Amino acid sequence: MVALFPRWTNTAARAMLIAAACTFVGIPVALMAWVRTPNATRQYQPVDQPIAFDHRIHVTGQRIDCTYCHFTVERSASAGIPPTTTCVPCHDQRWVASSMFEPVRQSIQTRQPIKWNRVHTLPDFVYFNHAIHVAKGVGCETCHGRVDQMASVYQSAPLTMSWCVSCHRDPAPNLRPTSAITTMGWTAPASRQQLGQKLMLDYRVRQMTTCTTCHR
Amino acid sequence: MHDHHDDDLTRRTFLKALGASVALAGLDGCTRIPAEKILTFVVQPTEFTPGIPVHYATSMMLDGYATGLVVEANDGRPTKIEGNPDHPASLGAAGILEQASLLQLYDPDRAKFVRSGTSASTWSDFTHAMAPATLRQRVGARGAGLALLLEPTSSPLVGDTLSSLQRLYPDMRVHYYAPLSPAAASAAFTEAAVIPQYDVHAADVILSVGADFLASGPFHLRYAREFADRRRAPLAGMNRLYVAETGFTVTGATADHRLRCRPTEIEPFLESILATLATPSPSPSASASSSEGWTVALASDLRAHSGASLVIAGDHLSPRAHALVASINMELGNTGHTVWYVQSPLLGAGQPGMTLPPLVAAMRSGAVDTLVCIGGNPSYMTPRAVGFSEVMRRVPNSVYVGLHENETARDARWFVPAAHYLESWGDARAYDGTYSIVQPLVQPLHNGKSAVEVLLAMTGVPAGDSLAMLRSTAARIGVASDDASWSAALRQGFVAGTASSRIAATPRPDLLARAVPPTNRAAGSVDVVFTPGACVHDGSFANNGWLQELPDPVTKLTWDNAALISPGTARRLGLDTGDPLLLRHASETLTIPALIVPGHPNDVVTLHFGYGRTGAERVAEDVGTNVYRFWPAMDEFVINGVSAERAAGVAHTDFAITQTHWTMDGRDQARSDTLGNYRASQRNEKTLQRTPLTIYDPQRRLESPVQWAMTIDLGTCIGCSACVVACQSENNIPVVGRDDVAKSREMHWLRIDRYLEGNEDNPQVITQPMLCQHCENAPCEYVCPVGATVHSSDGLNEMVYNRCVGTRFCSNNCPYKVRRFNWFDYTDEISETERMARNPDVTVRGRGVMEKCTFCVQRIREAEINAGTAGRMFRGTDVTTACQQSCPTNAITFGSLTEPDSVVMRRREESRLYDVLAELGTEPRVRYLARIRNPNPDLESG
Repeated sequence: MVALFPRWTNTAARAMLIAAACTFVGIPVALMAWVRTPNATRQYQPVDQPIAFDHRIHVTGQRIDCTYCHFTVERSASAGIPPTTTCVPCHDQRWVASSMFEPVRQSIQTRQPIKWNRVHTLPDFVYFNHAIHVAKGVGCETCHGRVDQMASVYQSAPLTMSWCVSCHRDPAPNLRPTSAITTMGWTAPASRQQLGQKLMLDYRVRQMTTCTTCHR
Repeated sequence: MHDHHDDDLTRRTFLKALGASVALAGLDGCTRIPAEKILTFVVQPTEFTPGIPVHYATSMMLDGYATGLVVEANDGRPTKIEGNPDHPASLGAAGILEQASLLQLYDPDRAKFVRSGTSASTWSDFTHAMAPATLRQRVGARGAGLALLLEPTSSPLVGDTLSSLQRLYPDMRVHYYAPLSPAAASAAFTEAAVIPQYDVHAADVILSVGADFLASGPFHLRYAREFADRRRAPLAGMNRLYVAETGFTVTGATADHRLRCRPTEIEPFLESILATLATPSPSPSASASSSEGWTVALASDLRAHSGASLVIAGDHLSPRAHALVASINMELGNTGHTVWYVQSPLLGAGQPGMTLPPLVAAMRSGAVDTLVCIGGNPSYMTPRAVGFSEVMRRVPNSVYVGLHENETARDARWFVPAAHYLESWGDARAYDGTYSIVQPLVQPLHNGKSAVEVLLAMTGVPAGDSLAMLRSTAARIGVASDDASWSAALRQGFVAGTASSRIAATPRPDLLARAVPPTNRAAGSVDVVFTPGACVHDGSFANNGWLQELPDPVTKLTWDNAALISPGTARRLGLDTGDPLLLRHASETLTIPALIVPGHPNDVVTLHFGYGRTGAERVAEDVGTNVYRFWPAMDEFVINGVSAERAAGVAHTDFAITQTHWTMDGRDQARSDTLGNYRASQRNEKTLQRTPLTIYDPQRRLESPVQWAMTIDLGTCIGCSACVVACQSENNIPVVGRDDVAKSREMHWLRIDRYLEGNEDNPQVITQPMLCQHCENAPCEYVCPVGATVHSSDGLNEMVYNRCVGTRFCSNNCPYKVRRFNWFDYTDEISETERMARNPDVTVRGRGVMEKCTFCVQRIREAEINAGTAGRMFRGTDVTTACQQSCPTNAITFGSLTEPDSVVMRRREESRLYDVLAELGTEPRVRYLARIRNPNPDLESG
């Protein structure tokens, strides 16, 4: 009997099956891998702001505490971006004539807000609350990184759900005394896990892995 | 409301759609988080912290009387209205209209511009045209050609502003009109403008004659609480409620004994009670089932509780019925104890010259040059015979101030957008006279003006400071005159101790002496009764989606009104529910679909006001039938001798009814028993509870120290639906529109099931709030393929929207049918302003996602966080759910299973506790207390 298809079509058929498998498995896997990359999570990407505000000068140089500007962090879900008038007490003399300071002058004169660019964004179905994290001993640095060393602030944590949940499952290694909440470059004692366990008891920290902790 | 699901789908388009949806299926999630801006304050306001809501006390005036409210504002926008716990008219609860008034504020159909004739104008043009210098030339130096038409109001501030206007125009006319104003109640007494006040708590036996005192009227929240407080513990002095009424009301549905009455039977019924009370000892009735037997048993029950009984007359009964009721209360020695009288705080109350008819006569005679109509909607809300619309068009210079460009606005030359009560300063008195403050929460969204601002402009003060006026009014009436007491009053929302003092009132002897005129009802004719719509009131709330979609407490009808008839009348007329009924009286005709309601009296038709609107309001458009056109005369809520027949050539109407079955079909999900049986059953513990067999572990260990649970007392649930609106407001629940409700796609997380027991002529009603039962062995959780519904460590059945892929398996497997599916993107279609009403703490759900009651998890987590940041121990009593908060009767309690001293757990010790569908072994966290009725033993056999 004469073969209907030439012999090479067997190879072609096998190759196509493998290619199809690669496409249907490989593309989703690749996409899933991609969303976890810093490129997708916008990790480590400095965000330009309307004012060349440098956290290095304010935090390291002037030793201003985080809560001086982000003053609702202990009370509210939002840490708060400072109102324009926060700049004025210090800057009524210094740098006041600088062109760098122009947007602040504009804002004060026109009573229009400064339009900052958001650096840390969570989806709308995630409800994050700063106040409770601060009260339970999660330092600023733990999630926001060494802001004192950032010229332009960037997102240092991936802010993926697996990153959040890893700490919600096991908070101890990420806790610090509330006296050191705003400290940048806090050095943990050698017995990190031991301190964490103690702080969990002191601050009544529980594992919070139930969905409605964040999704409501 | 939604036109995105027309059913003219061809095979070709179906295949196209199928192909496209397969191709695009996975791409839905491929969005990057958009770059966002953060806008900060320039100067931080001291009273406001971003992310933390602020609460203000204010009051809402409805039918002239204030109800105290507490309104939550998020980022400066009001998002939730709740009752003010200290206010005498609220006691912490808020009714459906008060809560839904939030949506009125954000209504996208609200008028935004001043209009003069057909062209756009401005407020300054208006103030110029209305300033004394200009207006005097039109209306004369003494203002003889000027007339004002206001809604009934008790506001001392409006009164003061009117007085200063009256000093400018001494001959000005002032009139008040609202279609439902209870004029008959005051007309029953020799003293003018008398209104009755009740102490429902002190009454052991209550007779309501056509009065829906539990769910409507200015003090219904308070009366419902007082009523329920005497039913919470059935074994400790339970009260008994008799209701004689025509149409089914919430109060009638709650009654221990309900007598269905034709409207013409009300006065004879009251006379026979009065006569029986006067007889030394009436013979025990032979036939307890007959109407006379009912009267005798009722009268002896009332007499047995002399001084501690209460008879309440409905607002729209005749003055004579009110006089008879007052005499019965006097005869029983109730006057001064459970009922007393005060002067009505309404402006112009008891002055017949200040009602609408004299104004219409003056307008018709041409005596009115300038008519200023503030609020209300008289062109729509008056009988056709009055011809208000035509005479208003003939007035040379007419002004209408309202929220919408409605029917009356179209008849007016000038239109000025009105301010919502959350946008303007004001005051009002509660039904008992308590001075209440109306505090704004936002600047007017559309530059609306309050009544006071319009009146001030007419006195020549175009930029009137209504706050300064309010302070001087408060000082004049001697309250809150200094800054400290003003701040205290503002904080509290009212001034305590300002209630009216009691006055003596005598029922008019001429009314009592007059015999009942014989009823000349032709055979086959019917009586027609006019009542307000349960959800849209007189029509002023018709453009409110929450209220249009709220099922009527008894009929469960949404987005429509109907002619309510009894099953007997339906058989006689050959009608089924939805069939067109033609009513004919004098020269008027009305065609309206019929709705059969068991327990409705025969040969009576009940019509609801408030539908068939033709203004510029889009939600209210084409909803229902306007029965004001059929209304013969103001203050006459009954017409006799109306011919009724099936309308020929009119199509059948398919109603959007959320619960079409009336009975439980032999099952017992909503349980009730009599007090006698309950007392007898106290010996055997847990009679109502069944323990099912189970293959699951007896009790799953849940690690959280707080375990959420809810107990609902059916004995005090009156079915008023305040909880449904509270839930809708709190949880961003969308409105789906009539077509989707007809397909059972309504989104209410909490519904009220209503079941009837007994025969169709005299049924007993039981209402049952039904929400996610948060089962410990939740059937929905087992079938979700993606883990979108799971159990939390504190015992909640969680719904994770971002995981849900919309298989609807969970809804299919839920025995309580409380899960709701987003068939369309209901929330993206709403306007910018309506978005402002949303609760920022609750995710807005998109298409293809299942949702359901969360036990207000956002409130739980907020309370948990607040306790954590304050370093307090978190307790179950820290959380109040939205439904629980709004419930006027405190039927809903919420708390933790781990706190045996909490109210929710103490209630669970009663033997009338049961689980709905316990035999399924779902172990629900919501448990119910069976309703205990307190029937009169003399009537029980019948």
